[in-house]
This record gives sequence, C-alpha cells and structure tokens, in this order.
Amino acid sequence: MASSQHVLLSPAELSYLHSSLSLTPPLRPDGRSPTQYRPLSAETGILPGTNGSARICFADGTEAIVGVKAEVEKTKRRWDDDTIFSENNHHQQQQQQQQQQQEGEEENEGRNNNDEEGGSSDWVELTVEIPGYRDDDSGTVFLGQMLSEALLADGGFVKRLRINRRFHWKLFLDILLISPPLSYPLPLLSLTTHLALLATRLPKLKSEGDEDPFFDDDWAAAPYLYARDPATKRVAERPPVTLLVMAVGGNIIFDPSKEELAVADVVLAVSVGDDAQGKGEDRMDVDGSNPGRNLKLLSIRTVDPPSRLTPPGVANAANSAYGHAQVVNTGANQKMPEARQTESEAVEGVWKPPRGGAKAVVMGALVQKVLVRGGVADEVLDALEGVDTS
Amino acid sequence: MADRRRINGPPGATMAPVFEDDAGQPEIKNGKGRDRAPNVIRKTFLKTGVTPSASGSAYLEFEGSSKSGVSGLKLSCTVHGPRSLPRSSPFSPHIVLSAHVKYAPFATKQRRGYLRDPSERDLGTHLETALRGAIIADRWPKSGVDIIISIIEGDQDRETSKSQGDETWDMMNVLSGCITVASAALADAGIDCVDTVAGGVAALVQDAGEDSTPRIVVDPIPSDHEKVLGACCVAYLPTRDEVTNLWFKGDLPASDAGLYTQLVENGIQASRNANRVLVECLGEATS
Amino acid sequence: MPITILPPKFSHPPPPPQDISDSDSDLSSDDGGAHLDFASLGLPNRKPNPANNPLFTNLVTPGTLITPDPQWMRGHGTYIPPHTTHITSSLAGIITRTNKLISVSPLRARYTPEVGDLVVGRIVEVQAKRWRVDVGSVQLASLPLSAINLPGGILRKRTETDELQIRTFFAEGDLVVAEVQQLFQDGGAVLHTRSLKYGKLRNGLFAAVSGVGGGSGVVRSRRQVWTMEGQNGGGKMDVILGVNGYVWISKHVEQVAKELEQKHMGITNMEENVSAGVYSSQNDPIDSDTMREITRLRGVVTALVENGCRVDEDMVIRGYAEACEMAMLSETGPEDIYLGGQRGEELTRALRGN
Repeated sequence: MASSQHVLLSPAELSYLHSSLSLTPPLRPDGRSPTQYRPLSAETGILPGTNGSARICFADGTEAIVGVKAEVEKTKRRWDDDTIFSENNHHQQQQQQQQQQQEGEEENEGRNNNDEEGGSSDWVELTVEIPGYRDDDSGTVFLGQMLSEALLADGGFVKRLRINRRFHWKLFLDILLISPPLSYPLPLLSLTTHLALLATRLPKLKSEGDEDPFFDDDWAAAPYLYARDPATKRVAERPPVTLLVMAVGGNIIFDPSKEELAVADVVLAVSVGDDAQGKGEDRMDVDGSNPGRNLKLLSIRTVDPPSRLTPPGVANAANSAYGHAQVVNTGANQKMPEARQTESEAVEGVWKPPRGGAKAVVMGALVQKVLVRGGVADEVLDALEGVDTS
Repeated sequence: MADRRRINGPPGATMAPVFEDDAGQPEIKNGKGRDRAPNVIRKTFLKTGVTPSASGSAYLEFEGSSKSGVSGLKLSCTVHGPRSLPRSSPFSPHIVLSAHVKYAPFATKQRRGYLRDPSERDLGTHLETALRGAIIADRWPKSGVDIIISIIEGDQDRETSKSQGDETWDMMNVLSGCITVASAALADAGIDCVDTVAGGVAALVQDAGEDSTPRIVVDPIPSDHEKVLGACCVAYLPTRDEVTNLWFKGDLPASDAGLYTQLVENGIQASRNANRVLVECLGEATS
Repeated sequence: MPITILPPKFSHPPPPPQDISDSDSDLSSDDGGAHLDFASLGLPNRKPNPANNPLFTNLVTPGTLITPDPQWMRGHGTYIPPHTTHITSSLAGIITRTNKLISVSPLRARYTPEVGDLVVGRIVEVQAKRWRVDVGSVQLASLPLSAINLPGGILRKRTETDELQIRTFFAEGDLVVAEVQQLFQDGGAVLHTRSLKYGKLRNGLFAAVSGVGGGSGVVRSRRQVWTMEGQNGGGKMDVILGVNGYVWISKHVEQVAKELEQKHMGITNMEENVSAGVYSSQNDPIDSDTMREITRLRGVVTALVENGCRVDEDMVIRGYAEACEMAMLSETGPEDIYLGGQRGEELTRALRGN
C-alpha cells in the first residue's frame, strides 16, 4: 500500500490540520501528545500451528497478525569449501570415520570460516499482505523491504538460524493486516513482527555437529529464538522496531495518523535495534531506574509524504465563486484557473501542498529524537517488554 | 506505461547510439582496493536526448573500478509525458508520476527475470519519492508521466566468488545513478522542476588489513572494501539545500550521532558532485 | 508514557449463565430445530420474558420466522417465502413494528438515506452537471448543479459557464453539508444545498463515526446542528452531526450578521451575501484556544462512539463538560485533551453514571 495513495481531504481541512499541528505544542486531531502512540492491545502465541505468532489491534479496529514458520533447509555451499561435504555425502556408509575426519577439519577450518557463519539473507522470507492491495503493489513491497531490511541489517539475526554447517532454519514471516488500512500501517506491522519474533520457538536440536539434524519432539523443551536470561526471564537481545515519525511546521510527531500524514513536510521510517553488548552491567546496578538502552540505528527510509498530492486551496481573492460579483469570465486568467492557483503566494488559511524536500538538519533532528537515550524508541521497547511473550 | 501506442515516433530519421568497444582503451591497472580519494566520486558520463522517440531521455555511465572484471554502471532512462491520464483514472490536480526501474536480465552476475522483483519495485518507490519532491507537480494537472529506467549493466564485481550482501549495497549505488539520470531525463522532457536533483552515496567502510579503522568514503564500490558497515543514499537539491530522499542502512550505535551526520553530509557532498555533471550535461545539450 | 500496550479484552461481555440454560430448555422441547420461541406466538413485540435479557428478546437472524399471520405487512429486512404467508426475517437485527408493518432493522449497517436527512458528505467525483458525494451510504449520493445556490444571487439562470466552472464550486475532497432531497429506487440519494445553512465546510475538523450500529453512533434527533460555547478560553463552536455519521466541528463564524452590518443590506439580500463565503476554501484565522477546544470536542465524539454510546446533542454537550472537568483535574490542566483509550472509557463511565 502506498503512503501516497489518494488522500481525499478538502483544502480547508488540510489548512486547519497544518495550522493546528504547527502550534507549540501541536494539537493533534485525536488529542495525543506528539510522542504518544495510539493505544493498542497485544497478545502473542495466538496461532498454535506456527513457531511464533502475535496479534495487535488498534482501537479503531485496525488489526495485524504475524505468523512465523520455520523449515529446515540445506545450506548452499560456496564453491571453495564444498569439496569437504561432497565427499561426506559420497561416503555415507563410512560416516563414523568421516565424522572424525570432519571434526579434525573443523578444528582446522574453524578460524578461516569464522566470518562465514553469518549466514545469508535468503534464510528469511518476509511477506506483507494488505487487503485491497495487490501483493506486488510497490507500496506493499516497500513495506516488506523496509521490515526485512531492519531485521537483516546487522547480520546478527540470521546467525540465530544456523543449525550446523550443512543446515539452517529458513524462517517465513507472514505479516497480515486483517482490516483495510485506515492509516499507514508501518508502526503496527513492525510492532506485531517484533512480538511474533520474540514468541518464536524452534525445536530443540538433539543431533550434534554436522550430521543431519533431528529434533526433540517435546515442544515444551523448545528454546526461544531470542533466548531468555534464565535468572531474570528477560530477553537479552530484542528484534528491531521501526518507528514512523514525521515533521510538520517545526514539530516532530510520532505514529502519525492518515490525516496528519496528509500535511507532513517529511516522513521518515527509522528502524532501531537494541544493542545487547554492554547492556548487562547497565541493567545490573539500576534495575528499577532504567537509564536507557544502548540503541543502534539500523535503517532509515524516507516515506513519500502524501501531502504533495493533496489538492491546493484557492484564496478568496482568486476565487471566481467567491463574493457576489456577477460571475463572468472575462479575465484572461480565468481561462487557466489551475495555473493561476499555483502561482498565488502563500495566504494564511489557504492550503498549499509542500514542494521540494526537507533540510538535512530537520531529518537529523527526527532521527535524533528517535534515538535519544530514554526517548521514544526506548519507551516503545520498554512497553513491548511488558507484553507476555511466553 | 499502460498505453505506449499513443507515442508517435520521431518525425525524422534517428541514429541509434553506438557503444564503443572497451578493447581500445588502455589497460587499467589491476590494483586492489579503492584508488580514489575518499571524497571523490567516480567519473561519470551523462548525455540527454539519446532516445528520440521519448519525450525525454538520458544515458548515464559510471566508470568501472580499477580492478579488472568490474564493469561500471550503465543506465538508460526514458520519460514519456506529460500526457493525458486515461479516462478511467480519477481527477488529479497534479501530474501523476510513476517510476519503473528494471534490471536488464543480463545486467548482473545472477540473471534477472523479465518480471520486476521486489528489489526493483523497491528501487522504483525510492526513485518516485526522490523525484516527487523535485518536480512542480501542480503545473500539470490531469496529466501523467512515466519514467522508465533500464539498468543495462549493473555495478558488480564479476570475478569475486563471494557475494555476501554486496547486492544490497549495490542497490544504493544504482539508486543514486537512477536519481541523477531520471533528473536529467525530466529536464530533457521539459517538466518543471524546482531544482536538479542528483543522487549521492556515502558509506562507512572497513578496509582489509589488521589495523584499519572504519572510514567514510563517497561513491563506494563494495568489492573494493573488506566490509561495508553502513551506507546512505541521498537525493539532494543543491540550490534549495534540501533532501528529497534519504535511505540509510547499516548498523550504527545510537550514542554516536556524529557518525550518522557525517555520513549524510558526505552523501550530500557526493550528490553535489553528481549534480555538477548533471548541470554541465544539460548545458551542453542546449549548445 | 508515549505508548500503552494492553492485553486484549472482550468487546462484548459473555452472556449471563441463566440465558443459556433458558434457551437450552427451549430447544429440548423441540425436535432439534433451531426454532425461536417467541416467533410462534405471532406477535413480534410481545412482552419480554423477564428471565430473558430484554436486549435479545426481539433479536432475529436471517431465516427466522417472525409470524405466520397474514394480517401483518412485511417491511424492510423481511421476506415471504413462496406459497406461504410467513413473514421471515432476512437480516440479523431487531424487530420493529409500525402499526401493521413489521420490519427488521439491522444491528449494524451502512447509512440508509431518508428524505430530509441532514448529511455531511465528501465530494469524490465531479461530473459534467453534478457531483458525486460520499455520504457513507451504499451508493454515492449525487448533488446536481441545479441544486446549489450559485454565487451572485439564487435566481440566476444556470449557464454553460457554470458547467465549465463546476470545480470552482466544489472540487474532489471538499466536504459539504447538505440535505437529502429525493431518493432513487436503488437507494441512491439526491442532495441539495439550497439553504443558508448548507454548503462547503471549513474552519474545523472532521470525524467519521459511521457504520458502528448497536445503539452507538449518530442517531436521528431533533437538532443535528448547534452552536456551543467553548470552555477554557475557546470561542464558540459549531457542531454538525450528519445523520450519516459524519461529524463536523468548526469555529463558529458570525458571517450573516457581520456582513449585514457591513453592507447595510436588507434581509432580502441576505441570501446573496451569505453565498459569498459559501464556496471559499480559505480558513478564517482561528486562535489556538478555540483549536484546542475543537480538538477536545472531536475527542468526545470519537470516545463516545468507541465506547458504544449514542451521539446526539445532549450526550455531546454533557460529554464535553465532563471532558473539561477531567482535564482540570489532570496534571497538565486544560492543555490535556487526550480522550483515547482508557481516558475515553473513564469519560463514558462518568456519563453513564449520571
């Protein structure tokens, strides 16, 4: 779904929205504070047929479901080391012997292949389905790419999917929006994906080393994809979240609704991860008063603001239907009313769609506002931590 | 894109562009790694009006890497329009812009199909965002314009065996090229723009070697470096000093805000350089 | 706290246990068919059984036999199967009886226009001689060029010039307040704006609360349009509750009186004067206090709908007073205008308690 889908708002509404959002503090149409999210209800583990699932609803009835399924897949070898394994395959009957040989090799190769353990981004397949939009719609594709980009950005995620040198998990993330989108669904989809990944469990591996994997039947023993700290039951590292943030008239607004997006100067989607490194000691000493997380910036995308496609307003002075002057179109400028409208300079109370881009400083401020310690990204992650994902 | 039958052919005879063979050129040195200064972009060739049957067109070529076997980027862009929207489409007070980016099947190491895959659609969306900010859309109500970019040759190292994640960084380079070439083609088609928008890429890279610290370079070639830690592609309007599209990908600690700002600034610098080529090319076209 | 994440809650409380046992005994007396007890009695609105939840007494589902008695006439939401005289429900809804006419009004449905309804609509299409207006109904309503007051006096003949300039009156996306003048057989409505109080909307905020049903949302009432005093320094506000569930809240503009004063014109010229501003898309200057109160009032309307209350003049005015009180008690004082989520629940609880 494109963010720039046709927004049908009248120029008078747009002008009102723009001026109310430009006040300090901004007045949002639904009365939220600039950093406030719409209230939402969340649950996880709703689909027993998946490895992990989550559901989030907004009060307006917008609802998203994410199901995560995993399959074992053979890892494609690179040309330079597949000799070892083809040999292994040919001599299945001598597995015992081979095994030993292999262990020896592993020791040798261990250092050389260190970087190779990263895995590949093909191991994750993420699809987004939005009712009323084709799945190859460029906007839907954009959403899917944005979400998978955040997930794969640091390469840490795919490492979790590695089983051994020959096999890996292939993870299918299916993101479904249940209701037609009433606003740009990015924050909703991102939060739901986050929770679904937290709730994802993969069967416990019983085999060892590089033999064909087989797993424990007991689902209760299955470990989480994102491991819990056994002592605190806390998730040590967390999947990324993508926040939608926009700027209008000097104000920065989070989780904008459709009406707010229609007057935005610039809209950014910022993906943020929680850096697990070094957080341990932070957490230890001040468990109650959280000093903030070590966030990391994973991706930024500019979302095309629909404001550029809104209809311009007509100032009373230029409006032929205004006033009780007899309507006669004698003036030359009446022949091309549209051209005339665009050239009129800004009049207070008349909507004019923005032109051009945004200053790099403004974009920097948006990103900074997301990332600042104890800021919105922090609080969103804290709130997500409060959701029961077991 | 829907109805190409309406575009009439050119009135006179046209000459197809001739691509010169590489063989005549002097042997490029077989170095490893980047041989440009960190703030210098590759040599760029840009020419407008290459496709006479389109309303506007442009062709862009980036110089290849100093390594052999790495070909540069070759992009061709055609602009069709402004033309009237089909009757079935709703009224629009603005020009309706749609961008299609397609890799030629032979453009990359791995063959691409004829249908656009998600990454190509993604590039198209980025390009639309970058261009929407640049054009003055309300000058052309009730009309549409299609921008079609074919990537004739992708910017890829065909000799390295490993292809870990390079495609994702290549996409940034391709996008910056797409923005620049589309901007030239739009100007060639006579569509009002507030400014010439050009794309630039900056990346935080780590070179091979034990003691190398990450550094920021513009217009990176991923295979020249050991590891790319993060990159951003910026579409920038130089005279208005505004950014119409920003795409960042990577892994930066949030505590170091300066790194992000530097990266974007370098992206803008790269875009300014590309813009100089663009302005010069448009100037040449008129003379 | 910028974000609240709650566990999911049931939107409807599960029915009390005695209901279930009651219906069980009903079913056991039959031979397994899903046969409703009251239907056999013939009268659609018989006195409810006190053991039953009165809300569900007259509830029917499609295919339920309402009455076999031929003396009743069938209305909306019902049908008569061939070769019978049985009036059968075709909707899930509540039976209503008007004299001898039995109809079923659905629990939740899109707006069905009726002549004389005041509606707020959005122009979605401009055609040669008319506009197509979204009023939240099954069909787009149509507003013919001949049904608007043209600028420069109402008694002017419509010319081709007007047809060519049709977009200068209303363009795509514009909001209009209009009245349903006429209905087509297919459910489509024809609107008109031939009055001082109708026309293009500006200076305010829009809220769509249509299609909720179940007793909430905008209901037809005596007054759909009123002006109310804003608290906390806000000016006067106009509220338009379209019967179709589209709501417009705006700053009150004393246009009529002001223009009359300025131009010293008689009442006969009033029509002409008012039409001056009627096609304007330029907002008047609005002070931030009024904007805040408009936003608060919009919050009241959406909170009422979200929590299943009806929206009419009485509820909105009481809700607004309550919201102002709540804001005074909160830490940030009158600046606090948020009425979503739990705050909205609090508000409606307070209203129901009164």
